[in-house]
Amino acid sequence: MTTEVTSVMKIADTIGFCADIGGRGFHLPNAIAIRDDGHLYVISRSSQMHPKGTRIGICDVDHEFYGEFSGRGTEPGQIIAPTGIALDSQNRVFVTDEQTNRVTVFDTDGNYLSHWGEQGSEPSQLSGPAGLAFDADDNLYISDQWNNRIQKFTPDGEFISTFGEPGTGSGQFDAPWGVAIDNGHIFVVDWHNDRISKFTLDGDPVMSFGESGTEDHQLNRPSDVAIDAEGRIYVADWGNQRAKVFDANGNFLQSLRGEASVTKWGADYLAANADELNARQTFDPFVEVGTRTPWEESARVEGYFWNPIGIEVDTSGRLYVVEAGRHRFQVYERA
Amino acid sequence: MVTTQTTSDLALIAHLLRRAGFGATRDELEAYAANGYDATVEGMLHPPAERSYLPDDILRRYHHDFQDIRTNGSAASYWIYRMVTTNAPLEEKVALFWHRVFATAQTKLIQGKPILSQLDMFRKYGMGSFREILIQISKDPAMILWLDNQDNHNGAINENYGREILELFSMGVGNYTEEDIKECSRAFTGWTIANTDYMAMKMRNNTARPYGYIDWHFEYRPDDHDEGEKTFLGKTGNFNGEDVIDIICEQPATAQFIARLLYHSFVADEPPVPQWPLVAPKDPAAIQLLTDSYFESDYNIGAMLKTLFTSDFFKDESAHFARVKSPVELVVGTLRQAGGFDGPTYDVYASAAACGYMGQALLNPPSVEGWQGGDDWINTGTVVERVNFACDLIGDTTKSGVQAIIARLRRDLEGVMPTPELLVDHCVDLVGPMSVPHETRDVLVDFAAEQGDVDLSTGDGEAAVAALLQLIVSTREYQLA
Repeated sequence: MTTEVTSVMKIADTIGFCADIGGRGFHLPNAIAIRDDGHLYVISRSSQMHPKGTRIGICDVDHEFYGEFSGRGTEPGQIIAPTGIALDSQNRVFVTDEQTNRVTVFDTDGNYLSHWGEQGSEPSQLSGPAGLAFDADDNLYISDQWNNRIQKFTPDGEFISTFGEPGTGSGQFDAPWGVAIDNGHIFVVDWHNDRISKFTLDGDPVMSFGESGTEDHQLNRPSDVAIDAEGRIYVADWGNQRAKVFDANGNFLQSLRGEASVTKWGADYLAANADELNARQTFDPFVEVGTRTPWEESARVEGYFWNPIGIEVDTSGRLYVVEAGRHRFQVYERA
Repeated sequence: MVTTQTTSDLALIAHLLRRAGFGATRDELEAYAANGYDATVEGMLHPPAERSYLPDDILRRYHHDFQDIRTNGSAASYWIYRMVTTNAPLEEKVALFWHRVFATAQTKLIQGKPILSQLDMFRKYGMGSFREILIQISKDPAMILWLDNQDNHNGAINENYGREILELFSMGVGNYTEEDIKECSRAFTGWTIANTDYMAMKMRNNTARPYGYIDWHFEYRPDDHDEGEKTFLGKTGNFNGEDVIDIICEQPATAQFIARLLYHSFVADEPPVPQWPLVAPKDPAAIQLLTDSYFESDYNIGAMLKTLFTSDFFKDESAHFARVKSPVELVVGTLRQAGGFDGPTYDVYASAAACGYMGQALLNPPSVEGWQGGDDWINTGTVVERVNFACDLIGDTTKSGVQAIIARLRRDLEGVMPTPELLVDHCVDLVGPMSVPHETRDVLVDFAAEQGDVDLSTGDGEAAVAALLQLIVSTREYQLA
């Protein structure tokens, strides 16, 4: 299940449950953010078919579920296609919406505070805002997906600066997605170029790594990135259905395939549904399925990642990998 | 009777494209015509090795529900994208053909993903050997659960699959006995899916909990296979599923059945399959030609299609516009005519839903017999849906396909203020080419006249053309393939 060059991380836990019409759990989650006290904010983007599923849930690593906020719509405080989530130094919650081209701000309990942003390609305007992250001064950096640039704002939405342009060269992007900020640098997931690019906060290129492919060291439409205290780079390799670990220079360290176990919320559900619990007695969550096509294999193996799309690391070095297809996240810790 | 004339070459190519694909724009038709009819047939049977369509990664990033492609709206929309944007339209048309024959529905299976995998199998094998198609469909997880073969055990057979493979998938009623069904079922014991109990339970309970649906895959269990001697269609041996399929494929009844299915879908509507033992084919000579092709090609469907598309009975003008377009043909054809999809759009959900409103919900055929089609596609409700859908698209002058029609009119009518008659004839030709009866043309001309002079260099002129195009796609003739 894990191809190891250097064993950096090992599985610690699995948290989640398919709550497609609401309730404790997630539905098609796609991003996660961590509050300074360890509370986890998880976007359930859900789908057009399950409008009640679109919301943000709050839980912690001990499987406590604290509730959820927002919902599908275009009214203030509502979201249609939430894509990225980040907390500022006051623990306010910022959510991008790639459909409405807005950034919506909530207090730490999920109460609506404000929203800003408008569609367009002029500086300050947004076209498919995706990942977002704060620097130490609470400046907000947003991956402006279809404008192929990173835009910098104040938390109130006042435009500061922008960098990047379409292309495959240095300082260029093709549909950027997740971002992470660490130690005065911003890491951008350059989705369609299959690479991770590192810049100064002023937008000067520092380094870039990644090449297209399905090998351990390669990337296939990566979606998100996180950096730990030692500078290791964690990548949600969405197209390869894996989470990858690289050192600070972009050298490959480890590939994670997913090793999910039954979650606490899942166990509670099965305990209340004896027929399903009984049927699971002969169930193999890591069954051999006869295909190595990553997406197909993941669709058929419950324990593997299926669409690992969001990735985050906390101050203790724990790694969280959000799986859109399995409505949960897997937690890894240092090996 | 017929007033609007079309060039025969373009008309024949357009006929082929309506049947072997989902229609074509005028630019596409002219490109095909430049290559010639036979080369076009070859090109459709052997599309570019590099398939082109809106890529999965783009779609999955935009449509978050495609992450698990669970609901019918998601799965059907995905297929709409493929049909509208593919550079291999016959491959999709053949997948649609087999989806109608090997009808499996999400109403029972619940999740869409396994049916999409089945469609991938149709794309890969659909124009190859019928023997291989039967083997693949017998191993197909969606089919196994659809017809309960996971409950077909050594010593306790379930006859559902054994019956349908003979009745609906290969030979037709009257060509086998009840005992053959039992023996056939015995041969398919042990053909199941992995993690059977839990997968079947989740399907029955219709629940995505706790971690979403898990796609299925085939598993052969030798310990559950009946190794005893079986007698099937007069032959005796320790048959497994492949052996039974070999015997099925050798039967003249199978050849005739497949020939009639192809004729039914690509040439002219036949009565419902259950009536075939009682009603002779419309064109016995055509069925014989296709039957001969079946045996001469070692059961190859692509070879049968080539025989069909190059035959006189297919090319004859009496076959043109002789079938009612299925809802999917109408929806996908109109979308392609209007310019297709430049990128992902939430509008695709409405297109997939429209097929259902018109009576052909993709991935949800109404029964094991699939959709009957023909005149059944038309009733007072579905006609309104068909007209509204086509009008909404063709009336939108922002669509690239509509703009292409207007640009063509500008070029053809440069320096001319077109009379209503000239404008109608050009528009009917560009939407088809097709022919409309006098009385229909009169209505179109009256409508064009009411709009006054049409200056194609203005927005008003474009709107007037779009309104006329809307009326044209509302005609009876546009509903026909």
